[in-house]
Amino acid sequence: MSPESEFTFTTTKTTTTIQTTTLPPTLESLSNTLADTFVHYLNYLGKVPGGDWLLWYIKASYKDDPVRSLFELALFLFGVYYFFNSRRKENKSDLVTLSKREIDELIDEWNPVEIVDEVTPIEKWQMKSLPVVKGHNGARIQLENLNKAKDVVNLASNDFLNLNESEELKTIAKSVINYSGVGACSAPNFYGTQDFHVRLEEDLTDYLHGENSILYGQDFVTPSSVLPAFVKRGDVCVVDTGVNIAIQKALVVSRCEIEWYHHNDMKHLENLLKEITPTLDKQKPLKRRFIVTEAIFSNGGSLLDLPKVVELRKKYKYRLFLDESNSIGVLGNTGRGITEYFGIPRSDVSITVGTLANSLASSGGFCVGASPMVHHQRLSSLAYVFSASLPPYCAKVACQAIKEIKKLNSNGKSILISKLHENTKFLHEGISSAIKDSNFVEVISNINSPVIQLSLKGPFREAINLPEFYGNTSFLTTARRSKYNNPFDEKYNLENFILQKIVDQVLASSNILISRSKNLLVHEHLPVAKPRLMVYANTGVSIEDLSLLIRTINGAVNTVCGSINRESSLDTLTSEMKVY
Amino acid sequence: MLLKMPDAPAEDRPPEEVAELEFGKLTSTDYLYVSQHPAGQPYPNPVEDDPPIFIYIVTYLSYLILIIIGHIRDFFGKIFRPEAYEHLVEKDGYAPWSDGFESFYERRLKERIDDCFARPIHGAPGRYIKCYQRIKMGINKYQYTGGSDECLNLSSYNYLGFGQSKGTCTEAASEIVDSYGTSGCSPRDIVGTTDLHQQCERLIADFVGQDDAILVSQGYGTNAFIFECIADSKTLVLSDALNHASTRFGVRVSGASVKVFEHNDMKSLEKVIRNAIAQGQPKSHRPWSKIIIAVEGLYSMEGDMCNLVEIIRLKEKYKCYLFVDEAHSIGALGPNGRGISDYFGVDPKKIDVLMGTLTKSFGATGGYISGSQKLMDRVRVDYATNVHGESVPPPVLAQIISSMSIIKGDLNPGEGALRLQRLAFNSRYFRSGLKKLGFIIYGADDSPVIPLLVFLPAKMPAVSRKLYDMGIALVIAAYPATPIVSGRVRLCLSSALTKEDLDYVLEKFSEIGDLIYLKFGSGIPGQTKKMNIQEALAGNVEMCKQPNFGLVKA
Repeated sequence: MSPESEFTFTTTKTTTTIQTTTLPPTLESLSNTLADTFVHYLNYLGKVPGGDWLLWYIKASYKDDPVRSLFELALFLFGVYYFFNSRRKENKSDLVTLSKREIDELIDEWNPVEIVDEVTPIEKWQMKSLPVVKGHNGARIQLENLNKAKDVVNLASNDFLNLNESEELKTIAKSVINYSGVGACSAPNFYGTQDFHVRLEEDLTDYLHGENSILYGQDFVTPSSVLPAFVKRGDVCVVDTGVNIAIQKALVVSRCEIEWYHHNDMKHLENLLKEITPTLDKQKPLKRRFIVTEAIFSNGGSLLDLPKVVELRKKYKYRLFLDESNSIGVLGNTGRGITEYFGIPRSDVSITVGTLANSLASSGGFCVGASPMVHHQRLSSLAYVFSASLPPYCAKVACQAIKEIKKLNSNGKSILISKLHENTKFLHEGISSAIKDSNFVEVISNINSPVIQLSLKGPFREAINLPEFYGNTSFLTTARRSKYNNPFDEKYNLENFILQKIVDQVLASSNILISRSKNLLVHEHLPVAKPRLMVYANTGVSIEDLSLLIRTINGAVNTVCGSINRESSLDTLTSEMKVY
Repeated sequence: MLLKMPDAPAEDRPPEEVAELEFGKLTSTDYLYVSQHPAGQPYPNPVEDDPPIFIYIVTYLSYLILIIIGHIRDFFGKIFRPEAYEHLVEKDGYAPWSDGFESFYERRLKERIDDCFARPIHGAPGRYIKCYQRIKMGINKYQYTGGSDECLNLSSYNYLGFGQSKGTCTEAASEIVDSYGTSGCSPRDIVGTTDLHQQCERLIADFVGQDDAILVSQGYGTNAFIFECIADSKTLVLSDALNHASTRFGVRVSGASVKVFEHNDMKSLEKVIRNAIAQGQPKSHRPWSKIIIAVEGLYSMEGDMCNLVEIIRLKEKYKCYLFVDEAHSIGALGPNGRGISDYFGVDPKKIDVLMGTLTKSFGATGGYISGSQKLMDRVRVDYATNVHGESVPPPVLAQIISSMSIIKGDLNPGEGALRLQRLAFNSRYFRSGLKKLGFIIYGADDSPVIPLLVFLPAKMPAVSRKLYDMGIALVIAAYPATPIVSGRVRLCLSSALTKEDLDYVLEKFSEIGDLIYLKFGSGIPGQTKKMNIQEALAGNVEMCKQPNFGLVKA
């Protein structure tokens, strides 16, 4: 580059000299002077390293064909112009030139908004309604607020197998804390990988029949770190429209091309793949392409038709990214997740992500799959590289939880898991039959979902003028996130409040704590379907307590919803919110 | 030889000896110092030595050679050993997981020094760290001998030495397992909040001097989703060029616009602010709805602090908001360990969003966000992690509560102050020693993070392996974590280390420095004399406590 830039320098200098110093009388003398000066300065090139060669080239090219020289010069000048122009091109044309005084004025005038909006009176109930557990979290808890009754049955915990109360896990946890301390104090790639982490990775690999696995410090960041490690700009994701917010964020961050298929609609998925795959096949080099979905959906609790998805993904050569947060330690005879449930080998699922915080009574997330895939994450997955490791005791506790789950009964089923299945089935069927004549609520989750989800019925919602869904659809229609967050929606707030009242009513009438979906409308990129009541199955809760819920839930729903029938009573609800 | 990692060798030493190996006893009360910025004085921009120009040239050449050889190996490898490249090329109609270009750096540069990374350890990462002995057997495969090496630990973020398997905090954490269990069980907003969480949050809020705080189970996760609550597409975030990946991720998720200013350059920041306010949003030129300045208290790769006083002046002058990530500074800086505002003697309430992690100084894990009541109420209502992420497990809470109470002086009075002052002394003592020996060191004098520049890629594994053999564990970092020409060794000091440990490390560093030519520096910047190890250690205890280590410019 250096000899060439020298060259430009000289030519431009030439022109300026001419213009400022001599005023040529005729065109001829002008061109003569110009040529002379040009040659004069050109000869300086000889003194620059490599200039000899350049000079020779110019001379030779001029001798052969002067027009070519002219053309080359033009090309070169254009290159230089382009180089300097493209550098700061960004926004340059868009900027306004302002004097210092004008800028000062603008700064004086500028009136920024507050960093956050104050929580309004009709939102405050959301904070006040949060249950605070006093002491040990488990199947039976004491609450500090809400209901001060001695014992509350906890049907809101993600600890489906009630392993948080297991003595074996506690003993293990204490022994590790007394050996390794609490924190890992370092990132996994430096000195944060302890023997316990490696063991858990081995155990997870073995338990889930994968090739390799990797641990994350938190479950919520796992999808949004794993997916963008593989899916880059231009890659293609075919995504279920019902995915949870963690996956939505992952998609937003990866900036991939997104195609949506209707929630759990295999026909639509097939048509879509049929339609888009031929064009994708022609691309060189081949883009990475994924089908992204969940095993048991957090939003709504439907079950994925895995055999069909695997068939389609093989036929059209897609990889499958599967979030098994709600299904590992839940589905299948030994809790190995949806693959065991359908009898499909784990290798058919390309990337499995899950959480250690639900059934495994620990904390953190993980990803299981093929070795090169897992290995790639160790340097390319942000939440793995730039974060401290999981506390070693958490890793060991999860190992022990897997051991507990692996304890089999005489039928070859896991004792814990079959108890969970019993409870889930009992709850699901019991609640379904208890509310089968209800005008107000219906069960929408799959019978295998450990979280029984109920939503308000369509006619009732119509009667009180609630919309079909909340939020905007721009992510679905354009595959780009909306530029603006969803604004606060009073109706969404209201529907949630109705559900909260049911939760409170159940707690008051039967001392059982259930929960409701708490999707944050403002952060959701997909349209939010109806808010749901959530009943979390738990092996630590007795059949009698479950029966009590089944007996009382319809009554509680009727008490709350029975009084809501006209729009005017919605105003009453709004004023209730303010004094909650 | 074992292919799988063996079980940790049994610990049969008496508990007192183990405790001493995790946290060394203070050998003299001279070895204490209070970390505080002299009030009213401007924050000095650290003077940094430059190496001879040929070091830069050789560094570039080294990378060039590495890259060329890497490509040659790839070229022939693809022809002669296609099976090794299977996962990098299209196969059966599937695109590769990552193409050869994306993973080139990892395969051809990092792989050569892979043994210096991710050394598996066992036991508490205290004063000593126990690394498994392993032998590299081909790509990404190791064999284990079954034994482990005990190394002095200059690698963990164990600033105050709470990485212990014995002591008050560990007892508290272990006891809480009985009364609270092992897991958080549920997201915070469902049923994952216990009285212990609330107690811990109140304690943190009080410690950092804010109205309220929210705990999150991971530091990275804290930043990753907090910007959603405070920024939207009409917000401009002014981000320091060297901000942590989690902050950058968080801003990207929030959809806010970002402008980067040069690292710690207040002139650049002011210029960017003025331009941003004047120009407004791109295209529409409407004014930004708000501007948030995002900086870190202590930069973990550079070892320098943000110029908090000046940033607060700018933020107030231009009506911006300030986000400070105290991941490394909380607990490690300030006379009371309360972070960067404590160090500079600034009212913490002037910082709008104060984020920090509990992984480092507190020996726990997780992060927190704190701020005014109004802000925290909004975050409580709107924070996605509270609804979808797990809550902090009880033993971690117990570790945070006990370690923070010790630092505050409520628990084991005197111990907290001692830990803080030992850390401050160790940081200054070690830094001044290294500087006098002629190493090029970045960062502020009081920072417990000490980056030692080695520049050449080949010298990084050399330092790491040689010192590992001498029983010292440290972290090396190179491109892409740092600029290409400034590969470095990062040393994290800890109160668990004794002055004698540091003398030993300085001695060994001096040897290695001579052996592989690392002493490019001029001693103390401005002074041309480099010292040998005896000169450097003589009187270092007194000298390190003076401004600029008692060495004025010649």
